[in-house]
Amino acid sequence: MSPGPATALLAAVATVAFLIDRIWALAVLTLILLVLCLRAPVERRWLYIGGALFSALTVIVISPLTWSSGGGTLIWEGPTLPVIGPVDLSTDEIRIAVVSGLRLAVVGLAFSAYTLLVDHDRLVSAAGFARRSALAVALATRLVPSLERDAAGLSESVRGRGVELHGARGYATLLSPLVAGSLERATGLAEAMEARGFGRSGATRAPRPAWTWIDRTALVGAVVLVGVAVAWL
Amino acid sequence: MALASVDGLSFAYPGGGPGVRDVSLELEAGEIVALLGPSGSGKSTLLRALAGLVPHFHGGRFSGRVEVAGLDTRSHGPAELAGVVASVFQDPEDQVVMTRVENEVAFGLENLGVAPNQIWPRTHAALAEVGAAHLAERRTVELSGGELQRVCLASALALEPQLLLLDEPTSQLDATGAEAFLSAVEQARCAVVLSEQRVDRALAIADRVIMMEEGRIVLDAPIAEARAWLAHWRPRYAGGLTSHDPAPVTPTRAPLVVLDEVHFSYGSGPEVLGGQTLTVHRGEIVALEGRNGSGKTTLAKVAAGLLEVASGTITRNGRSTYLSQDPGRYLVRETAIEEVALGVGGDEVRAAAALERFGLSFATCRHPRDLSSGERERLGIAAVAVPEPDLLVLDEPTRGIDPDRKAALAEWLVEQAEAGRGVLVATHDPLLPAHRRVRLDAEVGVPIAV
Repeated sequence: MSPGPATALLAAVATVAFLIDRIWALAVLTLILLVLCLRAPVERRWLYIGGALFSALTVIVISPLTWSSGGGTLIWEGPTLPVIGPVDLSTDEIRIAVVSGLRLAVVGLAFSAYTLLVDHDRLVSAAGFARRSALAVALATRLVPSLERDAAGLSESVRGRGVELHGARGYATLLSPLVAGSLERATGLAEAMEARGFGRSGATRAPRPAWTWIDRTALVGAVVLVGVAVAWL
Repeated sequence: MALASVDGLSFAYPGGGPGVRDVSLELEAGEIVALLGPSGSGKSTLLRALAGLVPHFHGGRFSGRVEVAGLDTRSHGPAELAGVVASVFQDPEDQVVMTRVENEVAFGLENLGVAPNQIWPRTHAALAEVGAAHLAERRTVELSGGELQRVCLASALALEPQLLLLDEPTSQLDATGAEAFLSAVEQARCAVVLSEQRVDRALAIADRVIMMEEGRIVLDAPIAEARAWLAHWRPRYAGGLTSHDPAPVTPTRAPLVVLDEVHFSYGSGPEVLGGQTLTVHRGEIVALEGRNGSGKTTLAKVAAGLLEVASGTITRNGRSTYLSQDPGRYLVRETAIEEVALGVGGDEVRAAAALERFGLSFATCRHPRDLSSGERERLGIAAVAVPEPDLLVLDEPTRGIDPDRKAALAEWLVEQAEAGRGVLVATHDPLLPAHRRVRLDAEVGVPIAV
């Protein structure tokens, strides 16, 4: 599937999650997106899938205890805590927590599928943005893993000399060399890009595959999905 | 007529000393030239001048004349020369622009305005030429350094250049990655100038050798003549580095570190160390060898106390320090002396002595990032040596360094061992001296010979 329709479909699914409150429908969307994310390479997918599901689970477990809906059947009544107030658990609170958690799971997994499976280069170039802006987006996406590796390398370099980094203040001392390192990388990248003709007039674009019936169906499906969800409200 | 000519080129970077001085040469179509010389000798500057990056990208004082395929680089910038000239630099991480491999290779072709219907065929042909056709659909962040550098080579070859400039392209690669890369270079159908510290391999594919020192050309000769000259005048560049492993050490005191049946995995990934056992004694250099991914770096980090193992026992006697791969990239302070003093609680007297020991006194108050790559590496070594640790752990310390510096490093390691320190070195380099070699070659880090 082309990146444009794929992104539209994922965005539609995330939108739908905010429009509906039926648990079974949200669970189905979660399941579909989970299966989709499992198509990504094993070494990259677990961070995204784990993050999305863990956040959703946290909301489901913790949020019913932090507020009182005043409705439904009271299942358990606990103590009154400072700041939070009375702690209790009702069927209504559980239902709302599950809806919120599933919504979060759908949005998180839709983002994961976008990050893991969509060709961002093609998406930004197909979007018709100015070429330089599109390239800036692609570069920002690509340089995040380099920054992560550099941050880990800097921390290791300091610890390797027997110096421990304590707390946020300790790690903050690595910020300046991290920025300096990324500027150095940026200079190297700019040099390499210029050596590959970037900025020369008369640039062309590699042809992209024409949309197939799957792409058109996906785009129509995205619109229909949102429409159905609105009608269902 | 020569493909490229350099006539009386002198160049100095802004605020720096001369990069090259009065360099003249001609390059013929189709020849492979090995460009040798120590770090800071002007090799990179010469390559950048041929690509038009000097002076257009870097600024600085430029005199003389450089012409490539009839284009004078003073009036034609690098973007205009792209296509006639193509470059591959040291670190693949600093060259890759796009997130997918085929888009990356197509990037240069799009910039040159190649007809859209030719872009994908040329992209896939270039990937096939470097043995990377299977990577076309992959994301660039998922590739190893060796794979990524081959993609960079494919990006350069896709432009169908007349002159290919390679600036220490294997310095960040392991031995296998470097071998695959240089094999692909050998197949290139254009003139190649290859700056390389893996001298043996470069000489094996070269037709001609140029050697630079202090910004000047000291040798420019066909390969046979160059080999004879190097053997006589610069034996370390002619395969003159040989391994002299010291005799095994008889342990007299408690070992510095003992790893017994240690297991380790990164997160929920596969097991990297599966029951590894390792001992390092005082006065002993132990080399950890093995293919890429065999767990050398992980085992070195465990020995240095940087990683916690899942199971197994570790006994340490004394303090250890760890030098990471590419240490010049991971310097954290504002001046060289602060950088070295970090490991000794800010003691600048000891730091100054260490800087002097490594020939870096001149850099005391300079920012580490203003130093050359070779100087930065020496600074990294000074920073881990200054605490006078009981155990020194070094990860690939010879990667990308020139033969003279490699010899100096080997001597320093022996000195450290003679001073009673233990040294653990993760390395692909069989020429680094060691009392004992531990090879990790199984699917997980299991020693097959100790």
